[in-house]
Amino acid sequence: MNKDWFLSQEAFDALLDWLDSDREQAGIKYEEIRARLIMIFAGRGCIDAEDLADETINRVTQRLSTIKEEFTGDPTRYFFGVANFVHMEYMRRKPPQPSPFPPSDSNQVEIEYRCLEHCIASLTEENRYLLLKYYGAEGRSKVEQRRQLADELGIAPNALRIRAYRIRLSLQECVEKCIERSQE
Amino acid sequence: MNPNIDKQEMRNYLLGTLEIERRAAFEESILGDAGVYEEILVTEAELIDQYLANNLSPSERHQFETHFLITAERQRNLQFGRLLRRYLNSQPAPVSPVEIPVAVRQHEIPAPAKNFFPFAAGIFTRTATVAVSAAVVVSIGIILLLCWTSTRNPGPTIAQENTSQTVQVTLTPGTMRSADAVTQRVPVPPRGVKVRLEMQVSNSSFHKYKSELFRENDSLKTADELQAEKKGEQHIVPWTITGEVLSPGDYQVRLSGVLDSGHDEFIDNYSFRVVK
Repeated sequence: MNKDWFLSQEAFDALLDWLDSDREQAGIKYEEIRARLIMIFAGRGCIDAEDLADETINRVTQRLSTIKEEFTGDPTRYFFGVANFVHMEYMRRKPPQPSPFPPSDSNQVEIEYRCLEHCIASLTEENRYLLLKYYGAEGRSKVEQRRQLADELGIAPNALRIRAYRIRLSLQECVEKCIERSQE
Repeated sequence: MNPNIDKQEMRNYLLGTLEIERRAAFEESILGDAGVYEEILVTEAELIDQYLANNLSPSERHQFETHFLITAERQRNLQFGRLLRRYLNSQPAPVSPVEIPVAVRQHEIPAPAKNFFPFAAGIFTRTATVAVSAAVVVSIGIILLLCWTSTRNPGPTIAQENTSQTVQVTLTPGTMRSADAVTQRVPVPPRGVKVRLEMQVSNSSFHKYKSELFRENDSLKTADELQAEKKGEQHIVPWTITGEVLSPGDYQVRLSGVLDSGHDEFIDNYSFRVVK
Protein backbone atom coordinates (compact mmCIF):
# COMPACT_ATOMS: atom_id res chain seq x y z
CA MET A 1 0.00 0.00 0.00
CA ASN A 2 1.38 3.36 -0.99
CA LYS A 3 1.45 5.41 2.24
CA ASP A 4 2.45 8.57 0.39
CA TRP A 5 -0.73 8.55 -1.65
CA PHE A 6 -2.89 11.63 -1.19
CA LEU A 7 -6.54 12.10 -1.98
CA SER A 8 -6.78 14.09 -5.21
CA GLN A 9 -9.91 16.00 -6.20
CA GLU A 10 -10.53 13.52 -8.99
CA ALA A 11 -10.27 10.55 -6.62
CA PHE A 12 -12.46 12.29 -4.08
CA ASP A 13 -15.12 12.93 -6.75
CA ALA A 14 -15.03 9.24 -7.69
CA LEU A 15 -15.51 8.30 -4.03
CA LEU A 16 -18.52 10.62 -3.72
CA ASP A 17 -20.01 9.11 -6.92
CA TRP A 18 -19.72 5.68 -5.37
CA LEU A 19 -21.36 6.73 -2.13
CA ASP A 20 -24.38 8.35 -3.81
CA SER A 21 -25.33 9.61 -7.24
CA ASP A 22 -26.67 12.80 -5.61
CA ARG A 23 -23.65 14.97 -4.85
CA GLU A 24 -25.15 16.56 -1.73
CA GLN A 25 -26.24 13.23 -0.28
CA ALA A 26 -22.83 11.80 -1.08
CA GLY A 27 -21.16 14.61 0.85
CA ILE A 28 -23.37 13.93 3.87
CA LYS A 29 -22.60 10.20 3.68
CA TYR A 30 -18.89 10.90 3.47
CA GLU A 31 -19.00 13.06 6.61
CA GLU A 32 -21.07 10.46 8.44
CA ILE A 33 -18.70 7.63 7.55
CA ARG A 34 -15.68 9.66 8.61
CA ALA A 35 -17.24 10.65 11.95
CA ARG A 36 -18.23 7.06 12.70
CA LEU A 37 -14.80 5.72 11.79
CA ILE A 38 -13.30 8.24 14.21
CA MET A 39 -15.66 6.99 16.91
CA ILE A 40 -14.66 3.37 16.21
CA PHE A 41 -10.93 4.09 16.36
CA ALA A 42 -11.40 6.15 19.53
CA GLY A 43 -13.41 3.26 21.00
CA ARG A 44 -10.38 1.04 20.40
CA GLY A 45 -8.18 3.44 22.30
CA CYS A 46 -6.40 5.01 19.30
CA ILE A 47 -5.14 8.49 20.13
CA ASP A 48 -4.90 9.59 16.51
CA ALA A 49 -8.39 8.34 15.59
CA GLU A 50 -8.89 11.12 13.04
CA ASP A 51 -5.70 10.23 11.13
CA LEU A 52 -6.64 6.55 11.08
CA ALA A 53 -10.13 7.38 9.78
CA ASP A 54 -8.58 9.43 6.97
CA GLU A 55 -6.13 6.63 6.22
CA THR A 56 -9.05 4.20 5.94
CA ILE A 57 -10.88 6.49 3.54
CA ASN A 58 -7.72 7.01 1.48
CA ARG A 59 -7.19 3.28 1.13
CA VAL A 60 -10.77 2.68 0.02
CA THR A 61 -10.49 5.53 -2.49
CA GLN A 62 -7.19 4.24 -3.80
CA ARG A 63 -8.72 0.84 -4.61
CA LEU A 64 -12.05 2.22 -5.76
CA SER A 65 -11.92 1.01 -9.39
CA THR A 66 -11.42 -2.59 -8.20
CA ILE A 67 -13.98 -2.27 -5.40
CA LYS A 68 -16.64 -1.04 -7.79
CA GLU A 69 -16.20 -4.17 -9.89
CA GLU A 70 -15.97 -6.70 -7.08
CA PHE A 71 -18.01 -5.39 -4.15
CA THR A 72 -21.76 -5.17 -3.95
CA GLY A 73 -23.70 -3.90 -0.95
CA ASP A 74 -23.56 -1.06 1.51
CA PRO A 75 -20.26 0.83 1.07
CA THR A 76 -20.04 1.46 4.84
CA ARG A 77 -19.40 -2.25 5.39
CA TYR A 78 -16.41 -2.08 3.11
CA PHE A 79 -15.00 0.82 5.10
CA PHE A 80 -15.40 -1.24 8.26
CA GLY A 81 -13.33 -4.09 6.81
CA VAL A 82 -10.55 -1.73 5.74
CA ALA A 83 -10.66 0.01 9.14
CA ASN A 84 -9.90 -3.35 10.79
CA PHE A 85 -6.75 -3.73 8.66
CA VAL A 86 -5.68 -0.17 9.38
CA HIS A 87 -6.16 -0.84 13.08
CA MET A 88 -4.12 -4.08 12.98
CA GLU A 89 -1.23 -2.22 11.37
CA TYR A 90 -1.56 0.55 13.92
CA MET A 91 -1.32 -1.95 16.76
CA ARG A 92 1.92 -3.37 15.30
CA ARG A 93 3.47 0.08 15.33
CA LYS A 94 4.37 1.68 18.64
CA PRO A 95 1.20 3.61 19.54
CA PRO A 96 1.85 7.27 20.36
CA GLN A 97 1.45 8.36 23.95
CA PRO A 98 -1.44 10.61 24.89
CA SER A 99 -0.53 14.25 24.82
CA PRO A 100 -1.11 16.18 28.04
CA PHE A 101 -4.10 18.48 28.20
CA PRO A 102 -3.17 21.95 27.04
CA PRO A 103 -2.78 24.29 30.02
CA SER A 104 -5.83 26.42 30.69
CA ASP A 105 -5.49 30.10 30.00
CA SER A 106 -7.72 32.40 32.03
CA ASN A 107 -8.03 34.89 29.15
CA GLN A 108 -9.11 32.09 26.84
CA VAL A 109 -11.70 30.96 29.41
CA GLU A 110 -13.13 34.49 29.44
CA ILE A 111 -13.39 34.55 25.64
CA GLU A 112 -15.12 31.18 25.66
CA TYR A 113 -17.57 32.35 28.31
CA ARG A 114 -18.45 35.49 26.38
CA CYS A 115 -18.97 33.40 23.23
CA LEU A 116 -21.23 31.04 25.15
CA GLU A 117 -23.34 33.93 26.44
CA HIS A 118 -23.60 35.30 22.90
CA CYS A 119 -24.59 31.91 21.43
CA ILE A 120 -27.16 31.17 24.14
CA ALA A 121 -28.70 34.58 23.53
CA SER A 122 -28.99 33.76 19.84
CA LEU A 123 -30.96 30.54 20.46
CA THR A 124 -34.70 30.65 19.94
CA GLU A 125 -36.63 31.29 23.12
CA GLU A 126 -37.98 27.73 23.19
CA ASN A 127 -34.57 26.13 22.62
CA ARG A 128 -32.95 28.34 25.25
CA TYR A 129 -35.61 27.36 27.77
CA LEU A 130 -35.22 23.68 26.97
CA LEU A 131 -31.43 23.82 27.20
CA LEU A 132 -31.37 25.69 30.52
CA LYS A 133 -34.09 23.56 32.05
CA TYR A 134 -32.71 20.22 30.85
CA TYR A 135 -29.03 20.72 31.61
CA GLY A 136 -29.70 22.96 34.61
CA ALA A 137 -31.46 20.12 36.43
CA GLU A 138 -29.25 18.87 39.26
CA GLY A 139 -29.14 16.38 42.07
CA ARG A 140 -31.64 13.70 42.98
CA SER A 141 -34.58 15.55 41.47
CA LYS A 142 -32.92 15.69 38.04
CA VAL A 143 -34.85 12.72 36.64
CA GLU A 144 -38.15 14.07 37.94
CA GLN A 145 -37.44 17.58 36.59
CA ARG A 146 -36.63 16.18 33.17
CA ARG A 147 -39.73 14.01 33.18
CA GLN A 148 -41.83 17.08 33.99
CA LEU A 149 -40.14 18.97 31.17
CA ALA A 150 -40.94 16.13 28.73
CA ASP A 151 -44.58 16.25 29.89
CA GLU A 152 -44.64 20.02 29.49
CA LEU A 153 -43.35 19.74 25.94
CA GLY A 154 -45.56 16.75 25.17
CA ILE A 155 -42.70 14.49 24.08
CA ALA A 156 -41.22 11.20 25.30
CA PRO A 157 -38.25 11.44 27.72
CA ASN A 158 -35.86 9.90 25.17
CA ALA A 159 -37.01 12.35 22.49
CA LEU A 160 -36.25 15.12 25.00
CA ARG A 161 -32.72 13.72 25.54
CA ILE A 162 -32.05 13.77 21.81
CA ARG A 163 -33.56 17.23 21.35
CA ALA A 164 -31.55 18.67 24.24
CA TYR A 165 -28.39 17.09 22.85
CA ARG A 166 -28.99 18.57 19.36
CA ILE A 167 -29.39 22.03 20.86
CA ARG A 168 -26.22 21.50 22.90
CA LEU A 169 -24.35 20.39 19.78
CA SER A 170 -25.47 23.43 17.77
CA LEU A 171 -24.51 25.63 20.71
CA GLN A 172 -21.05 24.09 20.90
CA GLU A 173 -20.57 24.62 17.14
CA CYS A 174 -21.64 28.26 17.55
CA VAL A 175 -19.21 28.75 20.46
CA GLU A 176 -16.31 27.16 18.56
CA LYS A 177 -16.94 29.40 15.53
CA CYS A 178 -17.21 32.45 17.80
CA ILE A 179 -13.87 31.58 19.45
CA GLU A 180 -12.23 31.12 16.04
CA ARG A 181 -13.50 34.54 14.93
CA SER A 182 -12.23 36.18 18.13
CA GLN A 183 -8.74 34.78 17.51
CA GLU A 184 -8.49 36.07 13.95
CA MET B 1 -32.82 3.27 19.52
CA ASN B 2 -31.56 -0.17 18.61
CA PRO B 3 -33.26 -2.60 21.02
CA ASN B 4 -30.19 -4.86 21.02
CA ILE B 5 -27.98 -2.20 22.57
CA ASP B 6 -28.69 -0.90 26.03
CA LYS B 7 -27.47 2.24 27.74
CA GLN B 8 -25.06 0.45 30.04
CA GLU B 9 -23.37 -1.21 27.05
CA MET B 10 -22.94 2.19 25.44
CA ARG B 11 -21.28 3.51 28.58
CA ASN B 12 -19.03 0.46 28.73
CA TYR B 13 -18.15 0.90 25.07
CA LEU B 14 -17.22 4.56 25.57
CA LEU B 15 -15.24 3.79 28.72
CA GLY B 16 -13.39 0.94 26.98
CA THR B 17 -14.75 -1.82 29.21
CA LEU B 18 -17.02 -3.64 26.75
CA GLU B 19 -15.92 -7.19 25.90
CA ILE B 20 -14.11 -7.42 22.54
CA GLU B 21 -16.66 -9.81 20.99
CA ARG B 22 -19.54 -7.47 21.84
CA ARG B 23 -17.52 -4.48 20.72
CA ALA B 24 -17.29 -5.78 17.12
CA ALA B 25 -21.08 -6.05 16.85
CA PHE B 26 -21.36 -2.64 18.40
CA GLU B 27 -18.99 -1.09 15.90
CA GLU B 28 -20.97 -2.48 12.97
CA SER B 29 -24.08 -0.84 14.45
CA ILE B 30 -22.24 2.47 14.70
CA LEU B 31 -21.46 2.39 10.99
CA GLY B 32 -24.79 1.04 9.82
CA ASP B 33 -27.36 2.57 12.15
CA ALA B 34 -27.70 6.35 12.36
CA GLY B 35 -29.85 5.99 15.50
CA VAL B 36 -27.13 4.08 17.36
CA TYR B 37 -24.51 6.61 16.34
CA GLU B 38 -26.53 9.56 17.64
CA GLU B 39 -27.41 7.66 20.81
CA ILE B 40 -23.70 7.19 21.50
CA LEU B 41 -23.08 10.90 21.00
CA VAL B 42 -25.85 11.67 23.50
CA THR B 43 -24.34 9.16 25.95
CA GLU B 44 -20.92 10.81 25.46
CA ALA B 45 -22.36 14.16 26.52
CA GLU B 46 -24.06 12.53 29.52
CA LEU B 47 -20.81 10.89 30.60
CA ILE B 48 -19.06 14.25 30.41
CA ASP B 49 -21.74 15.86 32.56
CA GLN B 50 -21.57 13.03 35.10
CA TYR B 51 -17.78 13.33 35.23
CA LEU B 52 -18.02 17.07 35.87
CA ALA B 53 -20.67 16.53 38.55
CA ASN B 54 -18.44 13.89 40.18
CA ASN B 55 -21.14 11.28 39.63
CA LEU B 56 -18.91 8.56 38.17
CA SER B 57 -17.62 5.69 40.27
CA PRO B 58 -13.84 5.70 40.90
CA SER B 59 -13.29 2.99 38.25
CA GLU B 60 -15.48 4.82 35.71
CA ARG B 61 -13.64 8.04 36.49
CA HIS B 62 -10.33 6.32 35.87
CA GLN B 63 -11.54 4.88 32.55
CA PHE B 64 -12.95 8.25 31.59
CA GLU B 65 -9.61 9.97 32.06
CA THR B 66 -7.38 7.26 30.61
CA HIS B 67 -9.58 5.91 27.79
CA PHE B 68 -12.47 8.20 26.96
CA LEU B 69 -10.50 11.43 26.91
CA ILE B 70 -7.95 9.99 24.51
CA THR B 71 -9.03 12.06 21.50
CA ALA B 72 -8.71 15.79 21.04
CA GLU B 73 -12.38 16.05 20.07
CA ARG B 74 -13.57 14.56 23.37
CA GLN B 75 -11.21 16.84 25.27
CA ARG B 76 -12.86 19.76 23.46
CA ASN B 77 -16.28 18.37 24.39
CA LEU B 78 -15.22 18.16 28.03
CA GLN B 79 -14.03 21.75 27.91
CA PHE B 80 -17.38 22.81 26.48
CA GLY B 81 -19.25 20.79 29.13
CA ARG B 82 -17.30 22.57 31.85
CA LEU B 83 -18.06 25.95 30.28
CA LEU B 84 -21.78 25.17 29.98
CA ARG B 85 -21.88 23.96 33.57
CA ARG B 86 -20.25 27.16 34.79
CA TYR B 87 -22.86 29.17 32.88
CA LEU B 88 -25.78 27.09 34.17
CA ASN B 89 -24.58 27.40 37.76
CA SER B 90 -24.70 31.17 37.43
CA GLN B 91 -28.26 31.26 36.08
CA PRO B 92 -31.60 31.45 37.91
CA ALA B 93 -34.24 28.83 37.09
CA PRO B 94 -35.52 29.47 33.55
CA VAL B 95 -39.06 30.73 33.03
CA SER B 96 -41.14 28.79 30.53
CA PRO B 97 -41.65 30.72 27.26
CA VAL B 98 -45.38 30.09 27.60
CA GLU B 99 -45.34 31.97 30.92
CA ILE B 100 -43.59 34.98 29.39
CA PRO B 101 -46.14 37.42 27.98
CA VAL B 102 -45.74 37.90 24.25
CA ALA B 103 -45.16 41.62 24.83
CA VAL B 104 -41.85 41.06 26.66
CA ARG B 105 -40.37 38.31 24.49
CA GLN B 106 -37.02 38.94 22.93
CA HIS B 107 -36.85 40.94 19.69
CA GLU B 108 -40.30 42.40 20.28
CA ILE B 109 -41.26 45.85 21.49
CA PRO B 110 -42.35 45.71 25.14
CA ALA B 111 -45.90 46.87 25.79
CA PRO B 112 -46.71 48.89 28.91
CA ALA B 113 -47.41 46.57 31.83
CA LYS B 114 -50.95 46.74 33.09
CA ASN B 115 -50.34 44.65 36.19
CA PHE B 116 -47.63 44.90 38.83
CA PHE B 117 -46.70 41.30 37.90
CA PRO B 118 -47.91 40.88 34.33
CA PHE B 119 -46.23 37.45 34.03
CA ALA B 120 -48.25 36.22 36.99
CA ALA B 121 -51.64 37.24 35.67
CA GLY B 122 -52.39 33.84 34.26
CA ILE B 123 -50.99 31.92 37.19
CA PHE B 124 -52.08 33.61 40.41
CA THR B 125 -55.49 34.60 41.59
CA ARG B 126 -56.06 38.28 42.32
CA THR B 127 -55.66 37.66 46.07
CA ALA B 128 -52.43 35.74 45.59
CA THR B 129 -51.05 38.46 43.35
CA VAL B 130 -51.78 41.09 46.01
CA ALA B 131 -50.09 38.91 48.66
CA VAL B 132 -46.98 38.38 46.53
CA SER B 133 -46.86 42.11 45.73
CA ALA B 134 -47.02 42.93 49.44
CA ALA B 135 -44.22 40.45 50.17
CA VAL B 136 -42.02 42.05 47.51
CA VAL B 137 -42.70 45.54 48.90
CA VAL B 138 -41.70 44.32 52.40
CA SER B 139 -38.55 42.67 50.96
CA ILE B 140 -37.57 45.88 49.20
CA GLY B 141 -38.03 47.73 52.51
CA ILE B 142 -35.75 45.27 54.30
CA ILE B 143 -33.10 45.56 51.58
CA LEU B 144 -33.21 49.38 51.78
CA LEU B 145 -32.88 49.17 55.57
CA LEU B 146 -29.86 46.88 55.27
CA CYS B 147 -28.25 49.21 52.71
CA TRP B 148 -28.81 52.19 55.01
CA THR B 149 -27.29 50.27 57.94
CA SER B 150 -24.23 49.29 55.91
CA THR B 151 -23.58 52.87 54.85
CA ARG B 152 -23.66 53.95 58.50
CA ASN B 153 -21.08 51.24 59.36
CA PRO B 154 -18.77 51.04 56.38
CA GLY B 155 -16.61 47.92 56.44
CA PRO B 156 -14.87 45.62 54.08
CA THR B 157 -17.07 44.36 51.22
CA ILE B 158 -15.81 40.85 51.68
CA ALA B 159 -17.24 38.26 54.03
CA GLN B 160 -14.79 38.03 56.93
CA GLU B 161 -14.74 36.31 60.27
CA ASN B 162 -11.96 37.06 62.71
CA THR B 163 -11.13 34.17 64.98
CA SER B 164 -8.37 34.49 67.61
CA GLN B 165 -5.47 33.79 65.22
CA THR B 166 -7.12 33.43 61.83
CA VAL B 167 -9.08 35.79 59.62
CA GLN B 168 -11.52 34.08 57.27
CA VAL B 169 -12.01 35.70 53.89
CA THR B 170 -14.66 34.40 51.52
CA LEU B 171 -13.80 34.99 47.87
CA THR B 172 -16.32 34.76 45.06
CA PRO B 173 -15.20 33.71 41.58
CA GLY B 174 -15.28 35.51 38.29
CA THR B 175 -14.25 38.95 39.48
CA MET B 176 -12.31 39.36 36.23
CA ARG B 177 -15.62 39.20 34.41
CA SER B 178 -17.29 41.89 36.43
CA ALA B 179 -15.18 44.90 35.61
CA ASP B 180 -17.75 47.23 37.10
CA ALA B 181 -18.01 45.30 40.36
CA VAL B 182 -16.52 46.69 43.56
CA THR B 183 -13.16 45.02 44.29
CA GLN B 184 -13.32 42.91 47.39
CA ARG B 185 -11.31 44.50 50.23
CA VAL B 186 -9.36 42.99 53.09
CA PRO B 187 -7.69 45.05 55.83
CA VAL B 188 -3.95 44.37 56.32
CA PRO B 189 -3.84 41.45 58.78
CA PRO B 190 -2.04 42.10 62.10
CA ARG B 191 1.32 40.38 62.68
CA GLY B 192 1.08 36.69 63.55
CA VAL B 193 -2.47 36.33 62.24
CA LYS B 194 -3.20 33.79 59.53
CA VAL B 195 -5.60 34.40 56.68
CA ARG B 196 -7.92 31.61 55.56
CA LEU B 197 -8.96 32.32 51.97
CA GLU B 198 -12.17 30.47 51.15
CA MET B 199 -12.65 30.25 47.39
CA GLN B 200 -16.25 29.49 46.45
CA VAL B 201 -16.61 26.81 43.77
CA SER B 202 -19.76 25.60 42.05
CA ASN B 203 -19.09 21.97 42.96
CA SER B 204 -16.41 19.77 44.48
CA SER B 205 -15.76 17.57 41.46
CA PHE B 206 -11.98 17.44 41.88
CA HIS B 207 -10.16 15.35 44.45
CA LYS B 208 -7.47 18.00 44.87
CA TYR B 209 -7.05 21.65 44.03
CA LYS B 210 -4.07 23.84 43.24
CA SER B 211 -3.88 27.53 43.82
CA GLU B 212 -1.44 30.30 43.18
CA LEU B 213 -1.45 33.75 44.79
CA PHE B 214 -0.38 36.69 42.66
CA ARG B 215 0.28 40.27 43.62
CA GLU B 216 0.12 42.44 40.52
CA ASN B 217 1.24 39.51 38.30
CA ASP B 218 4.07 38.39 40.61
CA SER B 219 3.58 34.89 41.95
CA LEU B 220 3.89 34.91 45.75
CA LYS B 221 2.77 31.51 46.92
CA THR B 222 1.40 28.20 45.68
CA ALA B 223 -0.42 25.23 47.18
CA ASP B 224 -1.23 21.96 45.46
CA GLU B 225 -2.91 19.69 48.01
CA LEU B 226 -6.04 21.68 48.76
CA GLN B 227 -9.35 19.95 49.40
CA ALA B 228 -12.90 21.24 48.86
CA GLU B 229 -15.27 21.50 51.81
CA LYS B 230 -18.99 22.02 52.18
CA LYS B 231 -19.90 25.26 53.94
CA GLY B 232 -23.65 25.58 54.29
CA GLU B 233 -25.08 25.32 50.79
CA GLN B 234 -21.75 26.34 49.23
CA HIS B 235 -18.63 24.42 48.27
CA ILE B 236 -15.40 26.16 49.18
CA VAL B 237 -11.72 25.47 48.73
CA PRO B 238 -9.94 26.85 51.82
CA TRP B 239 -6.31 27.95 51.74
CA THR B 240 -4.63 29.31 54.84
CA ILE B 241 -1.69 31.64 54.33
CA THR B 242 0.38 33.72 56.72
CA GLY B 243 -0.82 37.29 57.06
CA GLU B 244 2.71 38.67 56.51
CA VAL B 245 2.36 37.82 52.80
CA LEU B 246 -0.35 40.43 52.43
CA SER B 247 0.67 44.06 52.22
CA PRO B 248 -1.56 46.74 50.68
CA GLY B 249 -2.17 46.07 46.98
CA ASP B 250 -4.20 44.06 44.48
CA TYR B 251 -4.12 40.26 44.67
CA GLN B 252 -5.42 37.44 42.60
CA VAL B 253 -5.78 33.74 43.40
CA ARG B 254 -5.77 31.39 40.44
CA LEU B 255 -7.57 28.15 41.31
CA SER B 256 -7.24 24.90 39.32
CA GLY B 257 -8.62 21.41 39.86
CA VAL B 258 -6.25 18.45 39.70
CA LEU B 259 -7.46 15.48 37.63
CA ASP B 260 -6.62 11.89 38.55
CA SER B 261 -4.23 11.94 35.60
CA GLY B 262 -2.28 14.69 37.37
CA HIS B 263 -3.20 17.37 34.84
CA ASP B 264 -4.68 20.68 35.95
CA GLU B 265 -7.97 22.22 34.87
CA PHE B 266 -8.31 25.97 35.34
CA ILE B 267 -11.41 26.81 37.41
CA ASP B 268 -11.44 30.53 38.09
CA ASN B 269 -9.65 33.62 39.33
CA TYR B 270 -10.47 35.32 42.64
CA SER B 271 -9.45 38.93 43.14
CA PHE B 272 -9.20 41.03 46.26
CA ARG B 273 -7.51 44.18 47.47
CA VAL B 274 -5.60 44.53 50.73
CA VAL B 275 -6.08 47.96 52.25
CA LYS B 276 -4.58 49.77 55.24
